[in-house]
Amino acid sequence: MSFCNKNLTPLQRRTMQLMGGVMLLTVVTNLSTPSLVNPLVDVFPWLSPQGGHPSALLVGTLSAFSVLPVLLAVWVAGRYLKAEPDEFVRTLVVRALLWGFAVTMAGNAVAGVFMNVYLRPFPLTVLNADVFFISTGISFRLIQWSYR
Amino acid sequence: MKNSLRVLRAERGWSQADLAEKLGVSRQSVNAIETERFDPSLPLAFKLAKLFELPIESIFEE
Repeated sequence: MSFCNKNLTPLQRRTMQLMGGVMLLTVVTNLSTPSLVNPLVDVFPWLSPQGGHPSALLVGTLSAFSVLPVLLAVWVAGRYLKAEPDEFVRTLVVRALLWGFAVTMAGNAVAGVFMNVYLRPFPLTVLNADVFFISTGISFRLIQWSYR
Repeated sequence: MKNSLRVLRAERGWSQADLAEKLGVSRQSVNAIETERFDPSLPLAFKLAKLFELPIESIFEE
């Protein structure tokens, strides 16, 4: 199995589609939730009891939406690993997931230093899940290539 | 872990793809086992033994 599109099993194809959906959801939730605060406060003034500052309830609820793609990604990966009949491919996927996690954490650590030094947010950190998916995908191809 | 999968497969005139299909795994899995870069699980080792009609210990050795 070369993991080219034409060689994917139905399970792998479905998983790729679901992961694509989750990646899109990551972009939508992480980029849209900050800009939802002000419109929501305008419509529901009681969400801003401290005069201009949104309530903790509102911020907490909106930030919870950012967790959705992460939980969905875990569910999709778990569903795939449970159903994949080929143990070798499962091993490759687990290794790729670990590398994806490592790259994301390393990226966060570097971004954290930049944010502390320059005292401003580093844009890519809001797309952590996407960084994770992309680095996992690249890791998978590299690991798979190493077995050729 | 050493194994004689490549020899056994060649004796039967099977390609890696043929063996992979019989085992229900990918060709890459068969290649990884043959080149001793991946050790199969016990269920897959039993499957191989059954397919080649040999005891596990005559296919795999430490």
